[in-house]
Amino acid sequence: MDYIYSILTLTGITMIGVMGTYMVTGLTGQFSFGQAAFMAVGGYVSAMLTLRFNLPFPVVVLAGSVAATLTGLLVGMPTIRLRRDYISLVTFGFGEAIISVLNNSAQLTGGAEGLVGIPKRVDLLLVAVSVICCLFLVACYKNSKFGRQCLALRTDELAARSMGIDVNRMKLVTFLFASAITGYAGVLYAFYSQYLEPGYYNWTVSAEWLIIVFVGGINSLTGAMVSSVILTGLPELLRFASAWRILIYCIIVLLIINYRPNGIFGDWEISRLWKKRRAVLGGRA
Amino acid sequence: MNSSIATPSTRGLLEVSGLCKAFGGVKAVDGFSFDAKPGEIVGIIGPNGAGKTTVFNLVTGVYTPDSGSVRLDGVELSGWRQDVIAREGIGRTFQNIRLFKGLSVLENVMTASDPYAPYNFLSAILSMPAKRAADRQATGQAREYLDLVGLGGMEEARPESLPYGLQRKLELARALAIRPKVILLDEPAAGLNPSEVREFIDLVRRLHERFNFTIVFIEHRMEVVMNLSHKLFVLSFGKLLASGEPEMVRRDPAVIEAYIGDEE
Repeated sequence: MDYIYSILTLTGITMIGVMGTYMVTGLTGQFSFGQAAFMAVGGYVSAMLTLRFNLPFPVVVLAGSVAATLTGLLVGMPTIRLRRDYISLVTFGFGEAIISVLNNSAQLTGGAEGLVGIPKRVDLLLVAVSVICCLFLVACYKNSKFGRQCLALRTDELAARSMGIDVNRMKLVTFLFASAITGYAGVLYAFYSQYLEPGYYNWTVSAEWLIIVFVGGINSLTGAMVSSVILTGLPELLRFASAWRILIYCIIVLLIINYRPNGIFGDWEISRLWKKRRAVLGGRA
Repeated sequence: MNSSIATPSTRGLLEVSGLCKAFGGVKAVDGFSFDAKPGEIVGIIGPNGAGKTTVFNLVTGVYTPDSGSVRLDGVELSGWRQDVIAREGIGRTFQNIRLFKGLSVLENVMTASDPYAPYNFLSAILSMPAKRAADRQATGQAREYLDLVGLGGMEEARPESLPYGLQRKLELARALAIRPKVILLDEPAAGLNPSEVREFIDLVRRLHERFNFTIVFIEHRMEVVMNLSHKLFVLSFGKLLASGEPEMVRRDPAVIEAYIGDEE
């Protein structure tokens, strides 16, 4: 029971992390290979504030997300003008730099030995509620003027500019929102696992989130969520195959990408179900 | 009507003068000037590679001119950012249609009002009443533009699934929806069949009568050029070759030579 409980909790936290990646990659078309670093910032800031100053949990949650957002501002401001491929490089470098900083400031962060003694403040219920709340926020964002402008600039920046869309500002706003959400996922992880180590946040995690977004459907939040569940649950289900499970995982991902290049869901969203119904019922009011 | 009607007719709404742009050693546009008065339909023609699209890209800020000026309603726009120029009131369509594939037909048109939508980040992510009201209004407006160009009932379709002629119309609706003072159409009839071309001419006429906006267009099809334009500018190798009324320009020996010289 504990085992399933912990898988569900970690899957929920991954879902929130993937929402961040979905926004950066799915909405604005940027590739962030350092998204997990924002999770590290959120986690470490909140954990350190708790351990050193014993601040109440809601305060450190806020502090963790704000710290991640500010870090996002620091990285985003200079890089958002760059071309897509350069953004991947910069975020990749930034992610590795964060890990390096965490490793080398051992007095503060515990270095490679990790940060221990974080109180347990997060359970499955809180994670489940968080997933629902974050999903609501991100879905509303996608379905607003922000989301539309992002999707417009993702397909065609030049045409987006010709419509009066401030492309750089939109990318930055989305990047910051994604940083905040990912930072929050980091806080949840820290206060669930009670132990942080820099190695957990390296680029492979960011890459995994990207894979999840692509498998689910680059343009579909629904897809990203479904594939987070499948792809984080899958390695656990495949545990019986021990050494083979990585291989099986890779084959499944390759098959999906090969036969459904737009991901499982393409750009389909679950909200279309009731939108369509409303359109039928309400006519063209 | 708008106040610009009252200004002396000598002053153009869009005044472009001495526009220059070189790419490496090639002078793509070399001292080109043109102007459009309020409500006027102006055609820009010229042989292939004459620099017509470059002129549009300079006017809309895709490229920064090396020299020369672009004035809209007396405001100097050259050197401004592309999106600022668009918001200032210059809309455009593209020679190779550039629709937003990730968005529905309706949402494509809605992006026109999104940069002005009166709600902030917080009300967006919480889907507050102000946001929903603004989006409803934007939806209504976008529907009107779609109806105008004859795309009513296709709101939820994906733009890439539309036939070519309808994609052109959608791009036109999208450009109209930013309520531009001047709209630039880059070869709007390219790829249309003869009956679609006639339909397109009627559509532009109808829209022009209704909104009385200023149109500048690039076109190769003589049928469109002669039917629509009040005034023509001929561009050849980046320079202004001739300008004036369509019939006059058509008989201009220099123009005929430029065109015949262009053909194999």
